[in-house]
Amino acid sequence: MTAAIFDGIVIGLRFGLLAAGLTLVYGLGGVLLLAYGQVTVISAVVIIFAMDAGIPALPAVGLALVAGGFMGLVLDLTILRPVYRRHGEARVLLSLLLTLGVAFIVDGFLNWRYPLLGLTLRIGGGPIEIIGVRMPRGSVVASAIAIVAMVGLLSFFRWTTLGRAARSVIEDQEGARLVGIDPHRMLRLILVLSGVLAALVAATQAMVRLIDVRSGFELTVFALIVTVVGGLGSVTGALLAGIILGIIYAIALTYIGTSLSLIILLAAAAITIVIRPAGLLGVRE
Amino acid sequence: MMLEVRGLAAGYAGGDVVHAVDFHVEAGEAVMIIGSNGAGKTTLFRSVIGLLTPSAGTVEFEGNDITGMAAHRVVRLGISFVPAERHLFPRMTVEENLALGAYPGRPDAETTSVVMDLFPRLAERRRQPAATMSGGEQQMLAMGRALMARPRLLVLDEPTTGLAPKLAAEAYQALGLLKEGGLTVLVAEQQVPLAMALSDRGYVLENGAIRKEGTSAELASDPDVRHAYLGVL
Repeated sequence: MTAAIFDGIVIGLRFGLLAAGLTLVYGLGGVLLLAYGQVTVISAVVIIFAMDAGIPALPAVGLALVAGGFMGLVLDLTILRPVYRRHGEARVLLSLLLTLGVAFIVDGFLNWRYPLLGLTLRIGGGPIEIIGVRMPRGSVVASAIAIVAMVGLLSFFRWTTLGRAARSVIEDQEGARLVGIDPHRMLRLILVLSGVLAALVAATQAMVRLIDVRSGFELTVFALIVTVVGGLGSVTGALLAGIILGIIYAIALTYIGTSLSLIILLAAAAITIVIRPAGLLGVRE
Repeated sequence: MMLEVRGLAAGYAGGDVVHAVDFHVEAGEAVMIIGSNGAGKTTLFRSVIGLLTPSAGTVEFEGNDITGMAAHRVVRLGISFVPAERHLFPRMTVEENLALGAYPGRPDAETTSVVMDLFPRLAERRRQPAATMSGGEQQMLAMGRALMARPRLLVLDEPTTGLAPKLAAEAYQALGLLKEGGLTVLVAEQQVPLAMALSDRGYVLENGAIRKEGTSAELASDPDVRHAYLGVL
């Protein structure tokens, strides 16, 4: 049982990190970024190409983080421009359709040109023992990175002027404008940040399992589920939902088996949303 | 001249709500715009401070043309706006709301203590989320947040909305102190007696146009104003 819970926390941290970028972009700008998993996959491809070119793993990951941020910026400057001119449901719907289109194009291109590409990052050394449970070193390193990233993210939003300003846009966009904050610039910043997070997911995910060019949609779907369960716009909610769902998933994997565990995960998510439509830490509108 | 509005027209998709409005505010003055529900006070203010783009006319602040400038830039020039709906950050604490008022800077100690002295209730509740406070406290917080930007002109849209008479009077008491301290105030109000006691001059807005203007004393003795806004038959 302890082992299953540990596995769940490892999975949950990855879920939380995966959902953080998506939930921020939705909470801040009412934009649903369905190409999120593809940003992760492209970042993984960047790591592969960089390492093939002889660049060591760590700088290769650094390069992918820059590439992820750049992709966020490009989305903001191109495909999302018509989205920003709309408001409310029309905005959500248009962002959904346009970014879904981007996702299809990216997936199509990668499947055509590089169908066999896949990334796993092997962390050297044997398993690490934590209170009696032997964990693969890759999982432990990936979890540590996820924890550091989440703590950094939460501190940024809690303690810095810029982070508070970004949160204020989620809280009340008009109020933000009245204190001198430009919501569009904040949203651009958050898109860059979520691109970086997507790239970080590529690196941590690859330490635990394979990411290939077909992983995009699966990643987006998991991110969406965690986002909705956690409450749109809440990083803490994403982390909480990620860990809860991760533990449920891991326990189901251990005791019930692979085939049913995904269904159990989805059912847990569905029940949460029925009981709390705004998600665990979301605000009712 | 602190604020000069000429021929301003503005509205929404269905057409203009205010038409050819002229008014001005001198430095150090308190000016009121009175009118009933739906007269266009909110639309007028939103188009002055940049939340709404005017369809005609000009807005000048301290001699600079700010017509159509985005609200987040207007506030940095020195005009703070307190909307009737307050638009606070509900899940953030009183302290965080106030700190954001000073954006992009950090809140300076002097302004913070001025605001806390003016509204001691905010000091008591500094760690409480804005959403958990009463209507009166939220109004104080909205005014406090606006003051954190150290504005030269404070614009308030119906600051007494939803407040009990005692709290409404308190809000105006605070405005009186701010005016004595040299702040220029522009306020839209339905509760005319309170606004009249504060203001040097006023305008009467009806159906989106200025119908009357004058000093508060002149308006107070005007039979139409007395009848429509002061409840005198």
